[in-house]
Amino acid sequence: MAHPQIAAFARLAQGNIPPTRAIAGQAALLSRSLHDIRYDAINDEILVANGHAQAILVYRGAADGEEAPIRIIQGSKTMLNDPDRLDVDPIHNEIFVPDREGKQILVFPRNGIGDVAPIRVLKGPATQLERAGALVVDPVHNLLVVGLPYSDTGSSPPAGSLLIFQRTDAGNTPPSRIIRGPKTGIIRINQMAVYSPRKVVIAAQPGKIEEMEPDGAFVGVWSLDDNGDVPPRWKLIAGPKSTMKKPRGVALDPKNKTVIIADMRLNAVLTFYFPEIF
Amino acid sequence: MVTREAQRDAKRNRGFLLVLSALGVLAGSLLISSEPKGRQWAEEPKAIGTDRLVSIASLPETGGQMCQWEPASATVSLRAALRQERLAASSVPSAAKRAEAAKRKPVRMIRDPYSSYSAVAVDPIRNEVVLADENLLNVLVYDRLENTPPKASMSEPKRIIGGDKSEISFPCGLYVDPKSGDIYTVTGDAYGLLVFSNQAKGNVPPVRKLEAPHGTFGIAVDDGRGELFMTVQHDNVVIVFHKTAQGKDSPIRFLQGNRTKLANPHGLALDLKNERMFVANHGSSHLHHSGPGPASGGWYGLALGKKSWPLDQESAIRGSGKMASSSITVYPRDASGDTPPLQVIQGPKTQMNWPAGLAVSEERGEIYIANDMGDSILVFSTSANGDVAPIRVLKGPKTLIKNPTGVNLDEKNGELWVSNFGNHTATVYRTTASGDTAPLRVIRSAPLDRPTLGISNPHPVAYDSKREELLVPN
Repeated sequence: MAHPQIAAFARLAQGNIPPTRAIAGQAALLSRSLHDIRYDAINDEILVANGHAQAILVYRGAADGEEAPIRIIQGSKTMLNDPDRLDVDPIHNEIFVPDREGKQILVFPRNGIGDVAPIRVLKGPATQLERAGALVVDPVHNLLVVGLPYSDTGSSPPAGSLLIFQRTDAGNTPPSRIIRGPKTGIIRINQMAVYSPRKVVIAAQPGKIEEMEPDGAFVGVWSLDDNGDVPPRWKLIAGPKSTMKKPRGVALDPKNKTVIIADMRLNAVLTFYFPEIF
Repeated sequence: MVTREAQRDAKRNRGFLLVLSALGVLAGSLLISSEPKGRQWAEEPKAIGTDRLVSIASLPETGGQMCQWEPASATVSLRAALRQERLAASSVPSAAKRAEAAKRKPVRMIRDPYSSYSAVAVDPIRNEVVLADENLLNVLVYDRLENTPPKASMSEPKRIIGGDKSEISFPCGLYVDPKSGDIYTVTGDAYGLLVFSNQAKGNVPPVRKLEAPHGTFGIAVDDGRGELFMTVQHDNVVIVFHKTAQGKDSPIRFLQGNRTKLANPHGLALDLKNERMFVANHGSSHLHHSGPGPASGGWYGLALGKKSWPLDQESAIRGSGKMASSSITVYPRDASGDTPPLQVIQGPKTQMNWPAGLAVSEERGEIYIANDMGDSILVFSTSANGDVAPIRVLKGPKTLIKNPTGVNLDEKNGELWVSNFGNHTATVYRTTASGDTAPLRVIRSAPLDRPTLGISNPHPVAYDSKREELLVPN
């Protein structure tokens, strides 16, 4: 793509309203394919990954313009390879990074700077972390949810899944619960968010990667106690009614009971009022 | 020792907290009791009459130390919360409620409804200019001499190619075949290369598709030798195919390796007179273990069945990532493997800040750089090397240059074209233009006062609850 940036828009922005600020430029050290972004409200920080440079970048919450990160995790001890998505646990001060190629989850200290080794690694055949592409942490219930895409050469119809681990799981530990199967509708999972007071996970399911406007794309809500071939308890379905075409990002605004969704194909960000999940 | 004033402050604080708690309880009970019978899913309350200011009252000062605010019935609240959680976990909403939610419309949408030009290619033979639109995901064809009048809202293109059948997804590189007029479109987030006939219009499939590694950006063609070059951002590659390659055809060669200094490569241009290849780099890179290529088939199996294919994340050296400053790296035209650059233009004097599209004038011995974050076009000698200043800079409010990501030379007509991702325009100048020079012509896709959002492929999103802002990365 042409132009990497992190743009901030007012909550009530509607239509063609310019961003209030944007982080971009050489000093910002961003690259394309920012596939995750997290705002740490407790520490007022923004976290993204630069996959090309194998780095985790942390900006101050009010960062603007060509502003450098305040912390960078990068170097040979980090074991990072194409960090694509991430999440931050501001309660236990940890950063979680899925590693598709390594079939593992790397956990770093939130305040880590420079060439720091992971403090935990979740990895091994029992974990079932095949192409672990997305994750989210629930620091209240001490859970880690990992989203898997369908296998390139695997099942038919293609099926992805949600693996639920304990937050502190390490080594070759199996997931506590697995949400997988035709009733789930999961082909692949992109960004996720949790709402701890209701113990739910909200996940963007954009459908097949190779399709421009895939059938069956949706944003789904599951209980973190769900297990097996369980349909989502709530769904926002892509289509003419919702306007969505290929939802890939999801964030929550509990105060206003809204779900915010980034749609790749629309090149747009949509806000849905969704009081049932809050 | 606690002073009388501090005691007074503490008493005032306790009083304030009591009032606040009472208000909170009252508001909560009102909210619960006022649950509408027929639910409406509008977020904002319905306004009755018009708002008017009744009075302004200052809140009392709350200086001094405050105690930790603990709810009086913490254990009860916790129990209630746990009960709610259990209920939430065990209850499944009715089918009717789920169906209603599934059809819900958004209350707001942030979207730019106008084209934002990311790349440009001129066809001087047919007197057309082709523009890639990375906002609405189209390819637009205009008359070469189109010039949007200042009072007009926009220029209508002669033809638009776009839609799901076209498979155009974040087009960022363009080339027009001088002979056939075919339009070669590099897609930043899909198939690799799509070729459309000169007369293609609407939601039509490409006449030819070519698989390339994920994350292609720039394109250049050596028509004499029938070779097509593309940059690949993710894996730091310049990949070369036969110009007529299609489908799963293998590349002829590729440039990739730890000595190449390729670092998130973007624009690409050829100097066939001097047998050179120029690449613009944003600066991020990582190293690879040497090897024959992705054993497992690479990204979504693209390497499967190919005679050769670039290395990808599978062979990346963990923790080898670097972030360097922007650069232009120069190689022999036919460079392959791990060939180091012959020249590297890099450093503070260059003024480069995320260089994107490139063009070369063999006649003038000059390289033109779309300097995205510098809001400028930088011109260097093709022999430039090291930390050198540009020989010309086109920049300033009169130029209308804003976040330029594409540049193209029309040597037949002596014109330089710029696609400005930051302001809905493509602008045209004399090849020799410098300083704050107004464009000869402007093609505009939106009314003058419409802002651009700069959104391109918004994958994730975050909510900044402190500033009440949506954070949207590209």
